[in-house]
Amino acid sequence: MTVATIDVGKLFELVWASMVAGAVVAACFSLIIIGVTRAADCRQNRRSGSATAYAALSAVATVVFLGIAVFAISIIATK
Amino acid sequence: MGDDVVLVIVVATALAFDFTNGFHDTANAIATSVSTRAMSPRTAVAMSAILNFAGAFISLKVAATVASGIVDPAAITTTVVFAGLIGAIAWNLATWWLGLPSSSSHALIGGVVGAAFVASGPSAIFSDGLIEKVLVPGLVAPVLAFAVAASAIVVIYNMVGRLRPGPVNRGYRLGQLVTGSMFSLAHGTNDAQKTMGIITLALIAHGNLPANSTDVPFWVIVSSAAAIALGTYTGGWRIIRTMGSRIIKMDPAQGFSAQGAGAAVVLTATHLGFPLSTTHVISGGVMGAGAAKRLSAVRWGLAGNIALAWVLTLPAAAAIGALVYAVSSVFGNGPLGPLLVSIAVLGLIGVIFGRRLSHQRLVAAQ
Repeated sequence: MTVATIDVGKLFELVWASMVAGAVVAACFSLIIIGVTRAADCRQNRRSGSATAYAALSAVATVVFLGIAVFAISIIATK
Repeated sequence: MGDDVVLVIVVATALAFDFTNGFHDTANAIATSVSTRAMSPRTAVAMSAILNFAGAFISLKVAATVASGIVDPAAITTTVVFAGLIGAIAWNLATWWLGLPSSSSHALIGGVVGAAFVASGPSAIFSDGLIEKVLVPGLVAPVLAFAVAASAIVVIYNMVGRLRPGPVNRGYRLGQLVTGSMFSLAHGTNDAQKTMGIITLALIAHGNLPANSTDVPFWVIVSSAAAIALGTYTGGWRIIRTMGSRIIKMDPAQGFSAQGAGAAVVLTATHLGFPLSTTHVISGGVMGAGAAKRLSAVRWGLAGNIALAWVLTLPAAAAIGALVYAVSSVFGNGPLGPLLVSIAVLGLIGVIFGRRLSHQRLVAAQ
């Protein structure tokens, strides 16, 4: 195999960037679920302070996730 | 007159390839969503078809022509393109019949490589281009997606493992709507452009467009978008079944991590100018999401068959493309060869599907 034809630097960048992107997407969406579920549980147990905190966590994670989605669409559109 | 007929045949064959590309790759976007019941099958294919159609209009950088950097542009004639398309269609149909996901882009490249090899000899094939654009991405895509999906599912299980399963499953099903939409949009943008490129190339070769033209006629954009959307809506259910439930039996979190990791890999690669096959990526993602939970959760025998299909894609499509070019050439450079081959292929497809239908009726009657 001709190593010269393979851009090793770009390949390495692809590997680490994909790993980070995959983990960030998974963690971000999981935070939304944790926030929503815990907020509902706290409301049921009349712990309004914790409920608000979890709802805020969920809202922030949703904004970040939607930001990632918009960035993804911009990549598709400008490739 | 003869050239007009060849042009019509190439355009029709390109749209037929676009259709098979759509229905072959529906699984990439919707198999995990259908499997985890994030969407009903009909809703999923309808959504995917609409987004594939829309995706075809988003970006029109069609300058990248078929097999650029892999085959000498001087060797690419309308007959070579026609033979390459038939090779790709045949391989797409064969792998769909067997329910095996495989790359339509690699099949198209293989078909054109085989036809160009017969037409102009080995010097028309650039081996460095083959390594850089087919072999390396073919190895990187599934392995990387496997690793990313495996780490994503570990992150997910660690974060939500102690929560009630009901809301968690509902949440990841919702998430799959977003990741599935991304896949469909990216697929429409990537793959409809291949057909637009082929038709534009044929129009340039025929003299309908100037040689340095980068403008794609509107009818080419609409027909390419419609063909891939129609193919997607038809849905390659055999491959959807393989991808969605035969490789692993997945829960919504695994479906989300496979699709999310797949989208992350495909879009990162696109951003870096390192295009990967969506089929290879999502297949690797599904296997990774299953293996991270339990190695034995993956049906490795089936995974091996899929890998074998990937290895065979390029040589098999090349062999068919070469054969089609050789047969077409027997009848000279006119339209007779492509016309006879088209009729033969349509007849063969008709016979195979006719026998299949009559067999199904017989089984239903019994």
